[in-house]
Amino acid sequence: MNRLWCVFFSVAAILAVVFFYIGPAMGWWFPGVAASPLGQQIDDLFYLILAITGVTFIGVHLVLGYILWRFGAVPGKKSMYQHGSHTLEVVWSIVPAGILLFIALYQMDVWAAYRMKSRFDQDALANPLAEVTARQFEWRIRYPAPGKVLQETPQPDDLYTVNDLHAPAGKPVVIKLRSEDVLHSFFLPHLRVKQDAVPGLVIPVWFHANEPREYDLVCAELCGWGHYKMRGQLTAQSQGDFDAYLKKLQQSQNEDGYREAAAE
Amino acid sequence: MRFPSLSLAVCGLSLALAGCGQPPEPKFALNAKTAALTPPAQQLITEALVENFGTPNNLVAWQELPIDYGKGNPAADAEHRQHDGWRLKDGRDLYMVHCLHCHGVAGDGNGSTARFLNPRPRDYRQGKFKFKSTAGGTRPTHDDLMRILEEGIPGTYMPSFVLLGKEQLGLIVDYVRWLSMRGEVEEALAIELAQVGLKSSDLERTWREKKAEDKAITLDAVRDELLAEVKSAWTETVAEKAKDVVDFWNEANNPENLVVPQEKRTASDAESIARGRALYLSKENKCSDCHGPAGRGDGPQTEQFAAIDGASPARNYDEPGLRDAWGNVIMPRNLTRGVYRFGRRPLDLYRRVHQGINGTPMPGFGKTLKDEQIWDIVNYVLSIPYQEGTAPAAEDVAGGEALPETASR
Repeated sequence: MNRLWCVFFSVAAILAVVFFYIGPAMGWWFPGVAASPLGQQIDDLFYLILAITGVTFIGVHLVLGYILWRFGAVPGKKSMYQHGSHTLEVVWSIVPAGILLFIALYQMDVWAAYRMKSRFDQDALANPLAEVTARQFEWRIRYPAPGKVLQETPQPDDLYTVNDLHAPAGKPVVIKLRSEDVLHSFFLPHLRVKQDAVPGLVIPVWFHANEPREYDLVCAELCGWGHYKMRGQLTAQSQGDFDAYLKKLQQSQNEDGYREAAAE
Repeated sequence: MRFPSLSLAVCGLSLALAGCGQPPEPKFALNAKTAALTPPAQQLITEALVENFGTPNNLVAWQELPIDYGKGNPAADAEHRQHDGWRLKDGRDLYMVHCLHCHGVAGDGNGSTARFLNPRPRDYRQGKFKFKSTAGGTRPTHDDLMRILEEGIPGTYMPSFVLLGKEQLGLIVDYVRWLSMRGEVEEALAIELAQVGLKSSDLERTWREKKAEDKAITLDAVRDELLAEVKSAWTETVAEKAKDVVDFWNEANNPENLVVPQEKRTASDAESIARGRALYLSKENKCSDCHGPAGRGDGPQTEQFAAIDGASPARNYDEPGLRDAWGNVIMPRNLTRGVYRFGRRPLDLYRRVHQGINGTPMPGFGKTLKDEQIWDIVNYVLSIPYQEGTAPAAEDVAGGEALPETASR
């Protein structure tokens, strides 16, 4: 009976890894294929780590299963005492350390591309798309007027909107992330972008949407009773559509309601 | 224990299942005026409301009301759209999901989240809405309510629901209008019965007076006599009150009630802003009395004690401060922050200055100021957040006292 359990646990572990691998392809795991170049790199890193740890995991479980099978307790048989093997200890310290070091160095580039300001697209950084202020429980967005550069303090001709962030698709854009009250987190799941919005800081966040379509924007840091519904939307559009959108926003924001009296 | 895992499983399961079962049925709570009446009078009102409006889970589509309940379409895909009244039902379902926890089941602003919020969620039941494009006490238009749902109200906890899409928002707007109409009918009926003398406290007093003459008379007898009078004309009373409510709401669609500027906005140059500032500080308009000389919302009125609405004998609130129509302390807007609750378009600010804000002490200046003057004030107000040191000099302020020079933010 014990031997049956050995087989069961070994097989369960292997099945788990298989499901983790096919999960994303079946749409069980990631929210769709990454919709940004950096997102794709992040997914690749994920699969690499899954492969390395998966192989290790399966190997360890097979060995475990074998040892449980072969050396399980037998009535009447006395167990043998062993002092351990120094060589084995050294080997199974150095090899995993080496693997971890490899992973740490391999991912540095992706981390730098995502977080280091000097690696941002400098044009996008000099001309931020908008300032996004997270607030309980919505996303307030401030664009500069068309043709102007976003300033740190609000300008009289800035354009304001809420929850629906428009951006040109197909190129990197930078937003300045702020928080008006508590910690929030700017999370674009399809683009694999996540950055905490910290009260008191203005944090530049860059992203690059591959296709012109709508993406979810959700809050990823518990911020109060409305955190669960603090949703927004990223609408990526072609450059022409985006410019038209800003123009329309500017017109409606300057609306004074006066209409030439129609011929009565 | 022979099978510890089994007992553990049984314990766990019973704990989990203890929470299962039907939740309590949602109810429309009575408003304060109805609750102050004697129970049989409350009963009358409750019956009238249930007959004409139903309960949250069993809505009644009263055809008198100007609401599109939705005609059943036998060819519709969704099964529930094949029956009449589907729009009200869908509106109710959306309201329950998105609005209920702040605004309450009856739209009384008393949901479970409400006590954590300042300002409190709106109580729709008096038919008073602050932010609209119609004049004075007129009801808001359908578009006004859509705008609130789409933009949210900056500076408050009312979020933007723009992601729900126009169709769903339209359903919610109609359900909110329905809740408001229901509340207004209830309020009107409660006031009517209070006037007849059916408030519990009034009834006690009447009975005591009558006992002085006739020792044997009981409270019940006094009450039943008053009730009998009311009951004989009850159906007509209900119909009459409902008609008033319907008329109020229909007036909102009258284009004459829409507040629209008659003059184009003057250019926002230094002269216009200076004129606007002078108007803001002038004794006739008294903007600075509430909004403060620098626009920070700290004018002298915020330290006065407001009179309690409808209290007899007349008395004031214990805490200083301006009050809104719902009895809450309300701060005049701090204009230096650039947060405008019902929109930052020049048109929106024009409307606020022209018609005031219904349900608050903000008055309308449409009758006393010309359009050019209102545009000057609008230009000044829009410029306040961007000016350094907006504290005015001594001679400009109506009271004559200079203020310390401070940075604008």
